[in-house]
This record gives sequence, C-alpha cells and structure tokens, in this order.
Amino acid sequence: MPTLLVTGANRGLGLELARTYAAAGWTIHATARDPARAAELRAVAGAVEVHRLDIADPAQVQDLAAALDGTAIDLLVNNAGVNMLERTSLADLDYEGWERDFAVNTVAPLRLSAALAGNVAASGGKTIAFMSSRAGSITSNIAGGRYRYRSTKAALNAAIRSLALDLLPRGVICVAVHPGWARTDMGGPEAAISPAESAGWLKALFDRLEPHHAGHFLNYDGGELPW
Amino acid sequence: MPPGSKPTVVITGANRGIGLEFARRFGADRWRVHAAVRDPDSAEDLKALDGDVVVHPVDVTSDLQVREFADSLAGAPVDLLINNAGIIGPRGLTLDDMDFGAWVEVLRVNALSPVRMLGALLPNLEAGGRKMVVNITSRMGSIGDAGGGSYVYRSSKAALNAAMKNIALDLADRGLTVVMIHPGWVSTDMGGASAPVTPEDSVTGMLSLIDSLGPSDTGRFFDYQGETIPW
Repeated sequence: MPTLLVTGANRGLGLELARTYAAAGWTIHATARDPARAAELRAVAGAVEVHRLDIADPAQVQDLAAALDGTAIDLLVNNAGVNMLERTSLADLDYEGWERDFAVNTVAPLRLSAALAGNVAASGGKTIAFMSSRAGSITSNIAGGRYRYRSTKAALNAAIRSLALDLLPRGVICVAVHPGWARTDMGGPEAAISPAESAGWLKALFDRLEPHHAGHFLNYDGGELPW
Repeated sequence: MPPGSKPTVVITGANRGIGLEFARRFGADRWRVHAAVRDPDSAEDLKALDGDVVVHPVDVTSDLQVREFADSLAGAPVDLLINNAGIIGPRGLTLDDMDFGAWVEVLRVNALSPVRMLGALLPNLEAGGRKMVVNITSRMGSIGDAGGGSYVYRSSKAALNAAMKNIALDLADRGLTVVMIHPGWVSTDMGGASAPVTPEDSVTGMLSLIDSLGPSDTGRFFDYQGETIPW
C-alpha cells in the first residue's frame, strides 16, 4: 500500500488527511510537535505511526529523515504552518514574529522536502504537496492586510516553483495547493468548508496529479491559481 | 512644492552599485539626497559625489537604527524612497547545496527591511509632494517567470513583492505610489562584470519610468524599461 507523510497532523487539515488516507488503506507517517498531546491523531484507525517533529528544528528534521531512511514515501504533504488569522497593520508589525513565520511557513517545508526528496523519488506516487494559500497569490490580492501570512506563502510559492523544476527530472511532482478556507482552529468557525470536505477534495486532487501539474498553484478542486 | 524647497530622496544601500548611481544622478539633479548605508566610513565614492548628499549610518535590519534615522529627518518631507539595499545571499544554487540557516537572514534584508524603512518614513512621505516608494526587486522573484534553483534569493524577492503590493493596497487612499522595479541584470558587485546592463543604463531607464508613474500605477511590478513583469 502507498505511504503518506503529513506534518502538523495533530489537528486541523493534517489530522483530517491522516484519517482520510488511513481509511483508504494507506500507511501513514503523521508528525506533530507533541505526540503525547495528539490524542485524536493517535486514535485514528489504521496503519498510522506518529512521529515527533517541530518542522522548524533542523535536528528533528534530520532525526525523522534518519528514522525513515529507506522508506518510500508516495505523498509528502507539507501541512504544518502558522498565523493565518493575523490582524496586523503596517503600523504594528512585529518583525521578529514575522521572521519566525518565515522560518516555519517558508524555510521549514523546503528543508523537510529536501531531506525526504530521495524517499519520495524512490516511491511510485512521487508527489510533494505544500499547503499554500490563496492569500499568498499576489495577483489575487485586492484586500491588503495579513502581511506576514501573505508574504510567507508567496515566498513559499516561489520556492515550490524552483523545487518543482529541480525535482521533475527525478519524476517528482511538486505542487502548491490552496486547501480552501476550512473550519479548523486556524480557519475559525466562520470558514466556508469542513476539514473533512477539504481533505476529501485534496485526496481527489492528489490522486489525479500528472507531471504537467508540477510547479503549479492549484485550488483544492484542481483549478489553477495565479501567482 | 513650496517655492524654495528641494525635492528629497532617501536611498538605501547607496554606497555602491545601483544605489550609488541613483545618488549620483539625484545629487547632480539638485535633489537633497539622504543616503542610508551600513558603513559611511568606507563609502568613499558616495562621499565624493557632487550635490547635496547626506550620508547616514543605517543598518536597515535594525529597528533602532531605522527609527533613529527617521527621527533625524525631523519630519522633513521625503518625496521619494528608493529601497535599494539588498543581498544575494549564499551562492548555493541547487537543492543539494542549500544553506537553510541563511535563508531567514536574506528574507530579513530583502523583504522585511524595505517594509520597515517605508513604515518609519511614512509620515515624511505623506508630507512630501511626490509620495513615491520604489522597491528594487528582481525578475528572479517573478514566480510565473521562474527558473529552478536560487531558492533563497527568489523567495526573498517574491516576499518583497507580496509585501509591497499589500502595502500599496493599504496605502492607496493616502495617494502613495508604491512600485517594484527589476533593474535588469546589472554589472555591479552583485550582478558581476559580465552582466549585460550598466548601472548607468539601468538607472537611466528607472528614472524615466519613475517620472512617468503616478498613484494609478501603485502596486505594479515593472522592469527598468517600463515593461510589466508577471508576479
């Protein structure tokens, strides 16, 4: 059976993806910063192994890569991320916090993907997906605000595009996805769709990815989003 | 502009390269030039320029130094801010030789610092006549135009573009014009001697473009010849 690795799987979309893929019979490697407190994740039925991982900690990334040495990973979902609901304006920007957001949202997913690129290339599925956001689309930005979130996701998109080009010769498909605005802790109760709906859409999308999707920015329903 | 008052430009990273050329041209054109550089002592070419060029010690990554610089202007109007200071970062171009540790530092200089400077000078810009902010970005930050590799530099300029488009939207009702300009691949220390565009030609193009821009152009991404670049 194919293997999924999903980060930030203790709650939200990560948890829902673990559930959805486990129900489909996949082997799941699910990561969380604090597995002891990830009760819902540990309760997911199926072949689920939970790993400790703070994606912003290079030593923990290295430990995980070592633990997974030789394991083919058909789908790597870089889901862990922060700070979607910021309310900052230009006048009250916290620059140190902004740098931390870059470290988690932009740098960490690339560090993890670089560490596991071999595992993905050795699989049948050969896919690396990144949870980006429509908020990171510079073209679509008409609302302003949310400086930190928008810029970290735009920077992530730029890095994903480069990664996609660099890994395509190895047959690996890298995509940036907008998972929809979902009713998770990050999305809030007013959000448009349920986490389960989002995970369902995403699995359907990931199941049908082809090499020509590599390096694209996709909505959860497969539609193309502009940079 | 009130009679007798000089147009004023603030330029970061003015000690060499494109920033130095901007300072030279504005100084010769009788603007007041406030040149913000990390190390005035070594900025010999800048200090030798003709015109009303004031050199300030400013590390653009320091909240304190940027605030002190802004305070030193004592509310004086600034017509144009050129966020030029930037770094190329580690030269590792491929995934295998990436320096992840350096990435946040490049984002700090290339994306956050221009925002910090704009924020600090906003009152001065609003008091000015031209109300313009030019951010020196790069075509390498165009995600739609992208090649592979150079993750750190590309993403830092994409982040700058995203942040400044955002600011353009937020400040539109104050009549500010905030734009991103790709200067070309310029034969400076950063671009290298084999780059096809001289600093003189790059700045000539950018000055002509800047002259033509107004509030309706805010939030746009151009190259030094005035062509629009995709995000």
